[in-house]
Amino acid sequence: MNRYELTYIIDTALEETARKELIEKVSGLIAANGGEVEKVDETWGKRRLAYAINYKTEGWYVLVTFKAPAELPRELERNLEIYDSVLRYLVVKLVEKKSSVKPRPARPVAPVAAPVEEAAPAAEEAPAVEEAPAAEAAPVVEEAPAADAE
Amino acid sequence: MSEERTERRPRPRGGRRPRRKVCSFCVDKIEYIDYKDINRLRRYTNERGKILPRRMSGNCAKHQRQLSEAIKRARAIALLPFTVD
Repeated sequence: MNRYELTYIIDTALEETARKELIEKVSGLIAANGGEVEKVDETWGKRRLAYAINYKTEGWYVLVTFKAPAELPRELERNLEIYDSVLRYLVVKLVEKKSSVKPRPARPVAPVAAPVEEAAPAAEEAPAVEEAPAAEAAPVVEEAPAADAE
Repeated sequence: MSEERTERRPRPRGGRRPRRKVCSFCVDKIEYIDYKDINRLRRYTNERGKILPRRMSGNCAKHQRQLSEAIKRARAIALLPFTVD
């Protein structure tokens, strides 16, 4: 089993329900072929394309990370080729040692966790003066594991 | 290492030798260049969308290879343009 990442672009002409259906279908396809979908990410959503594809200037970006046997990407690509509303797709094998910057890590968790954990140690070590730098350092420290966990 | 670089060396005769650039990916300790990191990738393309050569970017060979792969992937899914005119 390898870890892969699939990025694909759906035609924005497709209504929301149909789009949801298609995303479900693609996830189902991975599952049906012995894969295991880890995450479906639509945070990019509607995005301007860098160049027009079939005269379209916008597309709906979907990112899927999954675990799958080595034969699956080929089958997946064959199927993605069939859907008319999938403008582009890209399947990439994930490199585990990845330390590259994450463009958009899931933020909501980190800021909440950081102040709670850091408040106690900061107060113990240095009462008042050190509190400001400690608070500054906290989010940085907390963000890194959150990004890795993705 | 960094002190050596900031030091002014006497220029050899017959032309000016620019300071040797340092690979920014090595500096940032990046092991894998993600194709989704468009803002970073864009810095290594010129205004026509072409990938900057190593002599311009100062990247090391290893990261330049990764970078070009990442840019090409980004182009494939319309995150970066092939050409801008």
